[in-house]
Amino acid sequence: MADRARVRVGTRTRRSLAKLVVGVAFWAWVVLRWLNDWAGGVVVPRQQPFVPPSLFTGLANGVPDVVPFVADALGAVAFAVEFLPTLVDAFWLTIVLTGVATVLGFCIAVPLAGARVYGRLSAWLALGYVELFRGTPLLAQLFVLYYGLPWLPAFFRELPWVGAGFLPGQAVFVAILGFTLNSAAYQAEYIRGAVESVDPGQLLAARSVGLSRIQGIRFVVFPQALRYAIPGWTNELVYLIKYSSLAAFITVPELFQAAQGIASTNYRYTALFVLSGLLYLALVVTATTLMEYVGNAVSVPGVSGTGSR
Amino acid sequence: MSADDLLRVDDLHKRFGDEEVLKGVSFEMAPQDVQVLIGPSGSGKSTLLRCVNRLTEYEQGEITLDGTPTSEMDENDLRRQVGMVFQDFNLFAHRTAKGNVTLGLRQVLGLSKEEADSRAMAQLDQVGLADQADSYPAELSGGQKQRVGIARALAMDPKLLLFDEPTSALDPELIGEVLGVMRDLADQGMTMLCVTHEMGFARQAATDIMFLDGGQIVEHGPPDTLFEDPERERTGQFLERLTSLHGDDG
Repeated sequence: MADRARVRVGTRTRRSLAKLVVGVAFWAWVVLRWLNDWAGGVVVPRQQPFVPPSLFTGLANGVPDVVPFVADALGAVAFAVEFLPTLVDAFWLTIVLTGVATVLGFCIAVPLAGARVYGRLSAWLALGYVELFRGTPLLAQLFVLYYGLPWLPAFFRELPWVGAGFLPGQAVFVAILGFTLNSAAYQAEYIRGAVESVDPGQLLAARSVGLSRIQGIRFVVFPQALRYAIPGWTNELVYLIKYSSLAAFITVPELFQAAQGIASTNYRYTALFVLSGLLYLALVVTATTLMEYVGNAVSVPGVSGTGSR
Repeated sequence: MSADDLLRVDDLHKRFGDEEVLKGVSFEMAPQDVQVLIGPSGSGKSTLLRCVNRLTEYEQGEITLDGTPTSEMDENDLRRQVGMVFQDFNLFAHRTAKGNVTLGLRQVLGLSKEEADSRAMAQLDQVGLADQADSYPAELSGGQKQRVGIARALAMDPKLLLFDEPTSALDPELIGEVLGVMRDLADQGMTMLCVTHEMGFARQAATDIMFLDGGQIVEHGPPDTLFEDPERERTGQFLERLTSLHGDDG
């Protein structure tokens, strides 16, 4: 028994070590690409690969025809090496869209969830908000914000810092606003479920030592509820990473639009969507791994979203 | 009834919907009194306690704490002065034993972190749990949890402590440690209103026992009188049954 347990722990450690090595290598490469391109191409010209793709096509040409797959695989690598630099540049915006919208959405979701559970009039307002943003297509919401309310993109365009230097143009800000409003509705529902799962005796005990209702919610209910909410909340993060591709439809040059843009010139749609899909996958795996780490870091005995309660 | 009563409950009525749970309850407690409230389930014992610290609002009657009607006090201020210990502990699950005690000290009394910590440690020491200060509720036994619950209520320096069946959720072998702490408190002169069926504790520590039945106090007197010579047959029967079930642990 003991031996088997040790073997299992060993395998798990090795696996997470492998995951760590792959993850660090991937992100180091991504960050190097960004730095190179933002600095105007210090190591290689902007959007040019670190290793020339001709290296792999050359190798592929050297493989005899009788050997199956190898030449094709080398050709695929050459293709990836050629186009990944452009995709990775756009990948930056995908990360910004999801990251900023998730954080801002969380700031709205916490009071929304509180209103849903503890409010009277505000409970109805919060319910209306949640149903509106969960009940209509995200793409429609983005269209309304970008094309339906012309003053909104105009407002962002007029801000002096929008589109200046490193900062992107107004479409990105409208997209962030749309994702924030939408994600807040979903996050609020995950958090509301968690708040309702906290034993009512907890708030009762808080009130019994003289804490006000707000203090009881703030210091006793929410710290527990947010821990319970982490797994569901991670799910929303994962969704948003992929739904950020909808920003392409309001002209945001993020990952999906970059893939589409390249494909429209060379018609290799499948290959480019597979490549961009791999980048989305890498981001999702990274996000879930990080959230798992956060969940473990904040869990206390008896109060964790991942383990047994 | 005298002017220096710490707690006075006068003609208290409470209904849940159509059902009147308390039908005119009146009693007084002098400082340092330990009153034990007994009665069959559904007789309104817990409701009565919750009316005292206004966790439940009531329709009619007046409750006075130290000369001030509680209805005129700020409810948070009232609860700071009236501690409560729950049947199922209700320890803050995400905070350590020490963190459970410090929360009220920090947020309600506004003590600094250092002051709150040292007061919490003193309070935990008093209930014999200084060595468990950094344990989370899930890591404590039932008896330990309840002692932390008592420390949490005590730390606010209350004038009155309410105990709502503090040992009913405990395994029999853990009851003694909680009753021990309660007896120590009684000896130190803490004013306590206890819903409990621990007759050993009632006999030794109570100044008075109140028998609540059907929403009214049907008998009220010192333990010796109630145990040896109850006025009503119903009281005698109930006490006999309780003693046979819960009499040995004190």
